Amino acid sequence: MATLNLQHIDKIYDNNVQAVFDFNLDVKDGELIVLVGPSGCGKSTTLRMVAGLEDISAGKLLLDGKDITATPAKDRDMAMVFQSYALYGHMTIYENMAFSLTLRKENPNVIHKKVLAAAEILGLTSQLNKKPAQLSGGQRQRVAMGRSIVRNPKVFLFDEPLSNLDAKLRGATRREILLLHKRLQATMLYVTHDQTEALTLADRIVCMSMGHVQQVGTPLELYDSPANVFVASFIGLPPMNFYDVRVDGGKLVGEGFQVSLTEEEKHTLRAYNNKEITLGVRPENIVEGTDVPVTVSSNENLGMNTLVHGHIGGAKGVRISAKLKGWRDYKVGDAASFTFDRKHFFDKETTNAIKGGG
Amino acid sequence: MTTEERTIQRDRMRFIKNSMSANLAYLGILFNVFYFVSLYKSDVDTYYYNYLIGISIVYNLVFMLAVFLASEGVKNYKRNYSYVLAVIGLAQIVRIFIIPTQAHGATTIVNGASVVVMQDAQFTRILIYLAVSAGCLIGSAVVNFIRCGELEAHLKSLGTQGA
Repeated sequence: MATLNLQHIDKIYDNNVQAVFDFNLDVKDGELIVLVGPSGCGKSTTLRMVAGLEDISAGKLLLDGKDITATPAKDRDMAMVFQSYALYGHMTIYENMAFSLTLRKENPNVIHKKVLAAAEILGLTSQLNKKPAQLSGGQRQRVAMGRSIVRNPKVFLFDEPLSNLDAKLRGATRREILLLHKRLQATMLYVTHDQTEALTLADRIVCMSMGHVQQVGTPLELYDSPANVFVASFIGLPPMNFYDVRVDGGKLVGEGFQVSLTEEEKHTLRAYNNKEITLGVRPENIVEGTDVPVTVSSNENLGMNTLVHGHIGGAKGVRISAKLKGWRDYKVGDAASFTFDRKHFFDKETTNAIKGGG
Repeated sequence: MTTEERTIQRDRMRFIKNSMSANLAYLGILFNVFYFVSLYKSDVDTYYYNYLIGISIVYNLVFMLAVFLASEGVKNYKRNYSYVLAVIGLAQIVRIFIIPTQAHGATTIVNGASVVVMQDAQFTRILIYLAVSAGCLIGSAVVNFIRCGELEAHLKSLGTQGA
């Protein structure tokens, strides 16, 4: 397939609003990269620049080492799958999938082979004579993918393809995209605001905020070693708890609680003794213990886990969310006591992770 | 064409409409329109004002409706519409011998002078229009008939393979 290099890419609109700042990324051959971030962070703009649907204000875009920054979209050999499917309602599924090749005046027999092969991959063979209106949302999205597959492009681009689907269908289609990627071994760029999609699909994730890349890494890296408070708060559900704490020798002292540090943590925080830092704790890293007294405000049983919300100290203390293993039956106002199993440390001024934390 | 190409071409018929037959049928309608426009614009006083021209007008309307419906049928490989189109195509040939042939040999009085109802040039033109219309309709019927046979055989072979 192809490698893709985005070098120092900026996007500045005519009204001088800058949507993307110095975007750098090297996409390896056959890699599935997910751009994730909240609405307005510049992820779709970046994808559209790669597709050629938006001009690149500054920087370079290389496909297989060849500069395609100024190449028109039609000559980039990339296929894009949109959230809205963009299917032709008056054409059958077969005709929709064959359309781009028909426009290129390819041999009808070759088109036929490619369409049947794509339909087979996507499980659409029995739907080829139907019109898009006769298909479910998930099937329509598969047709949109099929239309890309038949073109055999160098790079596949997905712009929030699952956003129109309900939760169940989203999960199923997500698995299909993953299988498709494994089967085609294609280079793919995938945009989503859904962190679950990002974590489950990506070989590597690019987490963005306000037009800036916050972190690039594998899903585990982003979850386990977030680069800053933004990434830590964005990746993970329920989101991470954050507390302002003071490093006091072998312990951290926060509002209404104090927790002791391991030797490794002490070493990590050696430069921060007697200084304030931000402590991050994922809800799933909280267990019942003795360090943090909590007044429970709600108890949500999820089957395998229980989500317990409360306030540290009294009812007016800082909020805490804990995802405890098993079934719990805390009542509102109950006193509980937790311990932080695993901690993340962030510099209070820069919000960057304190290296070696955890 | 290799056997594989032929097989693929047949397999394509499962998903691609028979647009050749449908387009031929549309052409049949178009040339019929040329025919009756040519005929009705003739300036020979009241020569054509008789029951035959009434029937002709009604037939043209029915013709257009029937051929259009048949074109949709053949588009979807319905064999029976081949018979419909073939009969209508043959009827176009027969029509040459009704109004055009009668008018071609006739004279009428216009403003006290004897006038030839249909000159050779107009007759030739009308003849061509009806003949081409008939050819298109019969062609459409034949193409559809052959393709229906091929598709049927192909589907049968797919069924056998599936079993």
